[in-house]
Amino acid sequence: MATINLVDLHKDYGNSHAVRGINLSVADGELIVLVGPSGCGKSTLLRMVAGLETVSSGRIEIGGRDVVKAEPAERDIAMVFQNYALYPHMTVRGNLEYGLKNRGTPRAEIDRRVNEAAEILEIGPMLDRKPRQLSGGQRQRVAMGRAIVREPAAFLFDEPLSNLDAKLRVQMRVEIRKLQRRLKTTSLYVTHDQLEAMTLADRLVVMNGGLVEQIGTPTEVYDRPATLFVASFIGSPPMNLLPVSALGNTQGLNLPAGTDMVGIRPDQMHLEPRPGATALPATAELLEPIGGESHLHLRLDSGHSVILSVPGRPSITEGTAVTVYIEPAALHPFDSKTGRRTDA
Amino acid sequence: MQTKRTIFPNKLLPYVLLLPQLAVTLIFFIWPALQAVKSSFEREDPFGFRTTFIWFENYTRLFADPNYVNSLSRTAVFAVSVTILSMCVSLLLAVAVNRVLRTNRIYTTLLVWPYAVAPVVVGILWWFIFNPTIGILPYMMRGLGVAWNPRVNGDQAMILVIIAASWKQISYNFLFFVAGLQSVPQSLTEAAAIDGAGPFKRFFTIVLPLLSPTTFFLLIVNINYAMFDTFGIIDATTSGGPNQATNTLVYKVYADGFLGLNIGSSAAQSVILMLIVIALTAIQFRFIERRVQY
Repeated sequence: MATINLVDLHKDYGNSHAVRGINLSVADGELIVLVGPSGCGKSTLLRMVAGLETVSSGRIEIGGRDVVKAEPAERDIAMVFQNYALYPHMTVRGNLEYGLKNRGTPRAEIDRRVNEAAEILEIGPMLDRKPRQLSGGQRQRVAMGRAIVREPAAFLFDEPLSNLDAKLRVQMRVEIRKLQRRLKTTSLYVTHDQLEAMTLADRLVVMNGGLVEQIGTPTEVYDRPATLFVASFIGSPPMNLLPVSALGNTQGLNLPAGTDMVGIRPDQMHLEPRPGATALPATAELLEPIGGESHLHLRLDSGHSVILSVPGRPSITEGTAVTVYIEPAALHPFDSKTGRRTDA
Repeated sequence: MQTKRTIFPNKLLPYVLLLPQLAVTLIFFIWPALQAVKSSFEREDPFGFRTTFIWFENYTRLFADPNYVNSLSRTAVFAVSVTILSMCVSLLLAVAVNRVLRTNRIYTTLLVWPYAVAPVVVGILWWFIFNPTIGILPYMMRGLGVAWNPRVNGDQAMILVIIAASWKQISYNFLFFVAGLQSVPQSLTEAAAIDGAGPFKRFFTIVLPLLSPTTFFLLIVNINYAMFDTFGIIDATTSGGPNQATNTLVYKVYADGFLGLNIGSSAAQSVILMLIVIALTAIQFRFIERRVQY
C-alpha cells in the first residue's frame, strides 16, 4: 500500500526526449491508466518507475521514498509484462515462487501466498505445468499471480492484454479491475487501447509526445477533453472537429473568445430538430450499421466530413440530403493555435 | 512439421536419383570403414607381403598395452579440459559482448577470426608462443620462477595442447553462445531483476538454463572436436610427446599406423574410435532434442 509521486520526470535519449517533464500523484490504492498513441512515452515512463530505465532528471517517490537510484528489486513493485515474461524453464509454481525465494521468504509463507494467489486466479490445477503448456489467458493469469504473491506496494502493468484475442481481453480486463479493487494495491497501467483505459481507470493520464495532455477521471476526460489531442484520441468513433466557420452563424452559440475550432461527439449530433439547435445541411455518404446503433458518415455542405452515431438503423441511402442539428451545449470550444480548450 | 511426400510413378526412379549420393557414401565412407574393420582382424608384415587373419588379437593386445590405456586416459583428460576451457571462456566472452550494445558486431567479427586459422597453423602459433627457447611466455614465466619446458615436462605439454586446441574452438562456441544469448528475451531478465535477483543470480537461474540447448549441443561438438579434430595441433606442437604425454587416440592411430607401420593395430584403434564416435552421435541424437528443453 503506497502512494506514487512523479516530480518533473524527464527521459532523454541523446537528442530525443521520450518523457518531457511529467508530474503525477497516484493515491494509495488508486488505479491510474497511462494512455496514448505508440511512442508517446507511456511505456518509458512505466519502465522508469520500475527502475528498468534510468531517469534523466526528476524524482520518483514510492511510498514517500525517493527511489530514483534504487534497483528494481528495491522498489517494492511488481510488473506484468506485455509478453508475460514467464520463465519458460520453470513450472507455474516455480514462476510464482521465484521472487519470494530471492527475498528469503520462509517456506511456509511462500506456500501460503502461492496457494492463495492460485486460488484467486483459479490456476491451482496448473501449478505444476510449464508456461508453454498454458493458453494465452492462463499465462496472463500466471503473470498476474507472480505480481500478486509478492504483495508489493504497487503493480505496474505494461500493456498486459495486448497479446490476447478480443474476447479474452474483455474478460481479463474485468478480472484485473476486480482483482485490483479487492487487493487495493496502487497500480499504474499502460495501454494504447482507449476502451481499456476508460473502463479500468480510476483516473486517466492521456499522454502525447512525452507530455501529459490531461489527467482526470474517465468521465471528466470524455466530457471535457482539455486539448484537441485528447478530444480526438478518447472516444470511438472520435469526436468531430470542425472550424467555427463550418457552423455558419455563431452569434447565438456564445463561444468563448479565441475559439476557432469546435468539437462535437458523434452521439451529440441529431437528425431530428431540437429547440435552439443549429441546423447544418449535409449529404449522407456512408451508413455503417453496427448492431444497436449505426455510424453515419456525412459531408457537410461546408465541405467537412463528420460522423454521427445514431440509434437503430435509420433508412438513409447514400447521397440523400439530410440536416444535422447541434445543440450549443454539446459544443466543445478549442483554440487550434494552442490546442487547448477555451472555456476552461 | 509437415513433410510433403512425393509419389513417383516409376518405381526405379527414386533409387536412380539417390544413386550418386549413395555411391559417394559407399566408396568414400563405407568401403574404407569396412577395410579398417577387416585389417583390424589381420596382422601384416612390415613389407606388406603377407597378411594373417588373427581374430581379435589386435584388440586384446591393445587393451593389454599400458601405452594404449594411458592414451585413453590422456584423451579423456584432453577432451574434457578442452571442452570445459573453450566453453567457459567463450561463454564469458559471449556474455561480455552481449552486454555491449553498439560495437558488438565488431567484437563478434574479431572473435570469430581464430576459427578461420588452420589447426596446424594454430599449433605452430602456440608452439612459438610456448617455445622454451624463443617463446615469449616461457620467458615471462621464468621471470616468475616457473621452469617451463613442454618438451621435457609431460603435464606442461598437455597444458600447451589444451590451450592451443581450446583457443581455436573458442570462436565457434562464442558464435553459438552469442546467438543463444540474444534469443533470451530481455523482458525475462527484467522480470527477474524486479523479482529481486542480482546479476549473477539472474545469469545462473534464468539465462544459463535457457541456454541449455545451446550448451548441450556445444558440449557434444566440442568433445567430438577435441577427440578427433585435433590431430594437426598435436602434430605441430608436441607430436604426442614427451614420453606419450600428449598421445591422444587419434594421434596414436597415425603414429602406430604410419610411423610404426603396425597397420593391424592402427586399424583396430580406428575401429574403436569409430565406435566412440557412433556412441557420441547416438547420445547427441537421442538426448539433444528430448532432455534439454523447457
